[in-house]
Amino acid sequence: MSEKVNVPEISVKNVSMVFSDSKGNPVQALKDVSIDIQKGEFISLLGPSGCGKSTLLRIVSDLLTPTSGEVTVCGKTPKETRLEQKFGIVFQNPVLLDWRTVRKNIRLPLEMMKVPKEEQASRIEQVLELVGLKEFGNSYPGQLSGGMQQRVGIARALAIQPDILLMDEPFSALDEFTREKLNDDVLHIWRKTNKTVLFVTHNISESVYMSDRICVLSPHPGRLSAIVDVNLPRPRTPEMRGTPEFAALVEKVRNSFEGI
Amino acid sequence: MLNKIKSSKGIVTAVWVLGLMVIWEICAFIVGATQRTPINVLPHLYQIFGSFFDPKPITGSGDTIATLVFSSAAETLSRALIGFVIGMLLGYALALFMNLSHIVEKIAFPYLMIIQMIPILGMAPIVLSITGDISSARIVIAAILTFYPVSTNTLAGFKSVGRERHELMKSYGANKFQLYIKMLIPSAMSYFFTGLKISAPMAITASILVDTLQGGNGLGCMLSQSLKGSMTRFVFWDIVIFSAVIGVLSFYLMGVIERAISPSKRKAKKLNNGKD
Repeated sequence: MSEKVNVPEISVKNVSMVFSDSKGNPVQALKDVSIDIQKGEFISLLGPSGCGKSTLLRIVSDLLTPTSGEVTVCGKTPKETRLEQKFGIVFQNPVLLDWRTVRKNIRLPLEMMKVPKEEQASRIEQVLELVGLKEFGNSYPGQLSGGMQQRVGIARALAIQPDILLMDEPFSALDEFTREKLNDDVLHIWRKTNKTVLFVTHNISESVYMSDRICVLSPHPGRLSAIVDVNLPRPRTPEMRGTPEFAALVEKVRNSFEGI
Repeated sequence: MLNKIKSSKGIVTAVWVLGLMVIWEICAFIVGATQRTPINVLPHLYQIFGSFFDPKPITGSGDTIATLVFSSAAETLSRALIGFVIGMLLGYALALFMNLSHIVEKIAFPYLMIIQMIPILGMAPIVLSITGDISSARIVIAAILTFYPVSTNTLAGFKSVGRERHELMKSYGANKFQLYIKMLIPSAMSYFFTGLKISAPMAITASILVDTLQGGNGLGCMLSQSLKGSMTRFVFWDIVIFSAVIGVLSFYLMGVIERAISPSKRKAKKLNNGKD
């Protein structure tokens, strides 16, 4: 890649992860994975269940410690970066606190970061605007649809003004229509905020539509089998999903899986 | 729309209560036709309620049934309440410690199970002989019975908090204190109230039971005196109905308190009603 002159924002070197299963037998979740991710890139980790894509995301964000290998984020260890609150994580479930209103849910990380009250309020309004939920700030999560709840999850992740946005299959529980709408919303937010995004998904066309590059992971053991460059022009539009270029990329990604 | 659903819920309750009264009355008629002393088996409801409001004194000191029931209820239920609060606080504290430390959980949990397995009838005389005082015995028994459901339910609440919620807090670099204050304690709130709903009627029942062991002024004491024939049998019936009502109310009261302190429950409920 031409911009490789920079130090990568996220560097994963020879990372392996071994869990033990319920009987105590070792299970290799990731084997010898290496990826460099540049600042501002949109990267997908794509693969079937059991390929270790969520494990890799958790290793990068210091929710898990790898068995071997090295990860650096912004030139530091993942733990240092986590404690500096540089990671915004969006989970598969929105993980909203049902006893807090939308506004107070977004406020949660800001309270822990000891952000001043006035700034909390302005940041909350800003991210609510960004995800299009301005008039739902005082609603409770139980009153919102699944898609709206996930938007709140995204808003909460953005409120801490992270350098890196990590998304773990954020739309897999949503219907196709809502998912495609949120795909466009996330791309819109990404373009406006210029974050580095690590996006975990098992949906091939979603990863093609969203990403600059796709890291194709194959299971048993979880390993990186290909990195596919997506050279579709930006901004991506829904019409692109029907083009032959798009179909060719989907086909290329599909053929790069091994041993499924 | 909202009012319609609210009133229809009221109708369901009314039908329930009415049905129960009809069955009682049918049984009372059958008993009245076959037994020589129907009041010992099943009197009519109007007789029971009538006796409660009967202004004629039944004791030498001039108490009517109503004043007798209220004064003994104050005696017993105030102790039940004190025991309930103590049991609740201790139960919650133990749940916290068990969740904080695996060793505490391993040591404490078997004791919890054993305390729960000893029948209250067996435990009450022991507690009474240790404390030597009926009021303290009431408090201790009510506390013991409250302790277990509160403790186990709250612990289950802490443990039900999913992996992603823990990861979310970890990703913010939250410390233990923040984890508990902002995530675990509010998450476990509905479990805690489930424990309270189970234990509130139990605490009341238990302290009435302790009364029957010794003479005094409590509800259970009057109950057994009435059964032994030293007072009219209607004292017994009135106390049974009164205790049942108080037990049910104590259960509902917990629900009312829960909704009062968690606005999200009220709003979610309103929304659902609006949709229906």
